[in-house]
Amino acid sequence: MNDFIHGSLYGGGIIVVLLTVTAMALWFERKMAGRMHSRLGPTIVGPFGLLQPVADVVKLLQKEDITPEKADAALFNLAPPMGAIAAIAVAAVIPFSSSIVAADLEVGVLYLLAIGALGVLPVFIAGWGSNNKFAMLGGMRAIAQSVSYEVPLVLAAMVPVILSGSMKVSDIVAYQAAHHWMVTWPFFLGIPAFAIFMLAMLAEANRIPFDIPEAESELVAGITTEYTGMKFALFYVAEYVHTLVASAVGAALFLGGWDGPFAPGIWWMVAKTLVLFAFIYWTRYSLLRFRSDQLMALCWRWLVPTGVVLVAASAVWVVFAG
Amino acid sequence: MAVNEEPKAALATASRTHTSDDAGHFQHPLYQVTLQTPGLSVGTAVFDDLMTWGLKNALWMFPMATSCCGIEFMAGAASRVDMDRMGVIIRATPRHADVMVVAGTITTKMAPRVLKLWEQMPEPKWCIAMGSCAISGDFYRNLYSVVPGIDTFLPVDVYVPGCPPNPEALMAGMIKLQEKISLQRTGKFVTPEVKPELLKITNPSVPRLNDPARRPEQNHEQELSADSPTVDEATAPLEVAAEGPAPELSPLTSPDFEGLLKELGIAELPKDGPPIIPLEQHLALARKLKSLGYRQLVTIAATHWLAGKGRKGADEAEPEHFEIAYALRTVGMGSRVAAWAVRVKAGQPVLTLSGIFAGADWQEREQYDLLGVTFAGHPDLRRLMLTENYVGHPLRREFPADAHWAPWR
Repeated sequence: MNDFIHGSLYGGGIIVVLLTVTAMALWFERKMAGRMHSRLGPTIVGPFGLLQPVADVVKLLQKEDITPEKADAALFNLAPPMGAIAAIAVAAVIPFSSSIVAADLEVGVLYLLAIGALGVLPVFIAGWGSNNKFAMLGGMRAIAQSVSYEVPLVLAAMVPVILSGSMKVSDIVAYQAAHHWMVTWPFFLGIPAFAIFMLAMLAEANRIPFDIPEAESELVAGITTEYTGMKFALFYVAEYVHTLVASAVGAALFLGGWDGPFAPGIWWMVAKTLVLFAFIYWTRYSLLRFRSDQLMALCWRWLVPTGVVLVAASAVWVVFAG
Repeated sequence: MAVNEEPKAALATASRTHTSDDAGHFQHPLYQVTLQTPGLSVGTAVFDDLMTWGLKNALWMFPMATSCCGIEFMAGAASRVDMDRMGVIIRATPRHADVMVVAGTITTKMAPRVLKLWEQMPEPKWCIAMGSCAISGDFYRNLYSVVPGIDTFLPVDVYVPGCPPNPEALMAGMIKLQEKISLQRTGKFVTPEVKPELLKITNPSVPRLNDPARRPEQNHEQELSADSPTVDEATAPLEVAAEGPAPELSPLTSPDFEGLLKELGIAELPKDGPPIIPLEQHLALARKLKSLGYRQLVTIAATHWLAGKGRKGADEAEPEHFEIAYALRTVGMGSRVAAWAVRVKAGQPVLTLSGIFAGADWQEREQYDLLGVTFAGHPDLRRLMLTENYVGHPLRREFPADAHWAPWR
């Protein structure tokens, strides 16, 4: 019962904060995109355009809710909430400080990888259910991409698990607080694993340079082509929450999570998450899109073999040097 | 529903005794309750203001950019103007968009597609006509293939004049649209209605070629129903003063082509155009030329002549006829040219070249489309440039010069 209350309170709080931050992330992205295009981004709606995401949501709430006649209505309407839930659920096991964590599972890393992988399903459901060629192609590309990048993601996440000897995310962070952050020592394992993890997370979240499933120039808007109003907004939220949570997971597994001097743990966790998050946007507006075959080649020819070597090397490191 | 029957009936009797003040008002009993709840009206007004504010400040655009206005439109999203400042972003799918910006000339072939995209946009939605062509057709207004202003089939909210309007003008149009949205929400503005005649575009009176309801004889009816000829002046030959001798053209043709022509009884090339060969020799000539290395079909161009009119030097007593000119050239052999023409009476088919030159397929379709020449043996003789339900052939002499195809005019 205690666990239930604890989980509900912390979980609810984390969801509320997460969604607020997501809304602000939309503003942040548009401002940052504007600056990188030598534009200003939103300035008129609210101070510094801060109310722009609010206006967007208010507008999307009023839009007509269209289910195309030839679409599979059940699947079409199931996909958006499913996507949002799958993205938000990952946040449950992330320790935002030594005490703030909604559900500190023993198999936290396994949980976040499994639930993170669940995000593929609504994408494909949406692609199939829309009965639209662009959505269908987008869904198929997303499946191919996400399933492939699942492998290096798991391999990279195994490195901190092996080094710290626990699958519990809070234990991994505590281990880093007690010893070194994964990226500082042993850096020859931590930094490559971190790089693979971030690349695979970008691919999982369909962000540029891996946004082939919704390449505007080829696929109109990918899986969201037929979605209107709040259903489209849910996909958007799922994508941003996924990116945000991926940043938080990266910070927890590799950058020492809440560990840091001078300030309370939560500040460090938030700061690290936001730095990674900003990095993802920076990539988005700097890089071009991969081609499908280049994407697959990167995954199977480079990331997977490197990941296997890293896992083996961490095991050796733990046995002989750890 | 059944629960509401009784109070409604009661209100209906009660309202007879009411004064004329609330005669036009909404009479639902719940509405009467909300009117008497203190503070509720303030709350709903604030809520409505919030909703309007959201609608106004997040206008996502759908770019229906067909020509040069589209370039200015793109500039509107780029650095100097940056419509993202007021929350305007561009979405590639109509399902996400609020405002359709029609930037460019809309042809009769495009119009049904534009309307379809418009119908795919979710309510509430608005339309901006950007540039003279979208507003009125501008100098293409009287062209046979151009819609004279998109408000003939779409409800336009804001007109942004210019040719093309600069991005600042488009942004000014967006601000006008915001004002209009506010006014609409307070009930001060009425959405314009679509002109009903224009709905004919999507429901053609003549079924399209791929429509199973189309009868075969309708092909012919469609050709005959072109507008009546009133154009003696239009077909009169131009009086051009001859200035000195005509310049000598360099010989482009080759001995082999001239030899073939001699076999057909044409001793020397006419000065005023390609040699006219007998209709029955047409296919054989093309085949021989292809075997001689003339592998590329450059053009097929037909001319329509009314009765008594014809090419200079041709028999003035000609009946109404078509002259169809063909041009071939060699590939990689010094680029020699072979050009000839055939002459067919109106309604008489000419044999297709599409079995010999694959490129003849679309060129013959184009001639069929614009002039109504029929090509016997063509695999797929449909209209190419104009809509499938277009009535008449616009490049025929009797087609009125200022008549765009508009069934509502």
